[in-house]
Amino acid sequence: MIFNLLYKELRLAAHPNLFVFTALGALVIVPAYPYGMVFLFGCLAPYITFMYGRETNDIYYTALLPVKKRDTVKAKCLLMVLAQVAQMLISLPFAVLRVYVLPNGNPAGIEANVAYYGFGLMIYAIFNLIFLTQFFKTAHKVGKAFLWAVIPATLGVVVMEAMVHFPAFTWLDSVAPAAQLRQLPILLVGIVVYIAGMCIAHKVSARRFEQVDL
Amino acid sequence: MTVLSVQGLTKHYPGFRLRDISFSLRQGRIMGLIGKNGAGKSTTLKSMLNLVHPDGGTIAMFGQGFLPNEESCKQDIGVVLGEIDFYKQKKLADITAVTRRFYPNWDEAAHRGYLDAFALDPQKRVKELSSGMKVKYMLALALSHNARLLILDEPTSGLDPVSRDDLLGLFQRLVANGERSILFSTHITSDLEKCADDITYIKDGRLLMSAEKATFMQSFGHLKEPGDAGELSLEEIMIRTERTHYDL
Repeated sequence: MIFNLLYKELRLAAHPNLFVFTALGALVIVPAYPYGMVFLFGCLAPYITFMYGRETNDIYYTALLPVKKRDTVKAKCLLMVLAQVAQMLISLPFAVLRVYVLPNGNPAGIEANVAYYGFGLMIYAIFNLIFLTQFFKTAHKVGKAFLWAVIPATLGVVVMEAMVHFPAFTWLDSVAPAAQLRQLPILLVGIVVYIAGMCIAHKVSARRFEQVDL
Repeated sequence: MTVLSVQGLTKHYPGFRLRDISFSLRQGRIMGLIGKNGAGKSTTLKSMLNLVHPDGGTIAMFGQGFLPNEESCKQDIGVVLGEIDFYKQKKLADITAVTRRFYPNWDEAAHRGYLDAFALDPQKRVKELSSGMKVKYMLALALSHNARLLILDEPTSGLDPVSRDDLLGLFQRLVANGERSILFSTHITSDLEKCADDITYIKDGRLLMSAEKATFMQSFGHLKEPGDAGELSLEEIMIRTERTHYDL
């Protein structure tokens, strides 16, 4: 059933823009660029897809399928996880490649290193939690939900990008193997926060959506 | 056999209250749900399907409670919501390819048969279909997974008389084998005169009457006025029941 719901999301509900913004994980190959933008593109993508879903009456279609009403929420959560994880996986080969092609590093902000992906997962966790729980209060006020969610997500990106310019945090801006090993706890925390955030977002959103009158 | 039982359905919105709606539909029959615009027909249907969260009441389909058995009940029903189009830019073939995955008893050969019978081209996009064709496509989807109960919200609204007659004829054809049942809401009384076996009338959120058609018509005899010869038509019953007397 989960696979069918995801298939429905990809074939009918997702706006083509979702695929484009997911592919923008490749931006980490750009020589000088604030890579935090990649995560903001990843926040914009579900916003546009949710707006498209409202326009296409996707929620009605899903709610009438032989699934529980709350599975509509599960479908959207799955789509967001798929897009965000895919975006990171797409970016990985480019992050490795740039170490060899552009050894002088990224002067614009954080490197695409282990800490970067850890922070990215935390930024997504914040966005997902607020965006999904706000949206499923009504299942139609997508602009308001996006605004509430993207502000803290943007602050997270700004903090990440600014932090590496301080001498005390230069180890976060390194792609040296020893420094990346030191960054590993940030990635692990990011993974835990992302999974926990998504589980809470799903639970709260599903409970709220049960009460929504379509 | 009762395929649908609605008991004490209640829903409160600011400015509107659906009160204690109860009726039941037997297998092989067509029930028309009538009422003027805003009477609560769509709210009733949506509350039955859990699209709208009802404040009270119980719904049973095929002898089992709807809410605890939402998935299995939905396997056996087909729903057409009037004036709601899904994925206007998508081809019918794409929507079918997704929908069929959710129904283990999907019959692809039957589906192709229905598309042919309804003259629906799977390569057409939803936006290219007329209102009547959209209803027929949704019916084709429902029939292809062998839905035993069709719930249709205003399927004939906005259709020309020919398309309406065509659709009503189709409804009768669908229940002819006694296996399927149809519940459809409408404010067009002639629809019911043509094809309904039972009528449920909702006025201002309250159930006025739910009965077999002949009984229903007879029970409104008190609305007759001097000079009326014979039975009142459904339209006359509705107009005389709903008539507003302005005191200006």
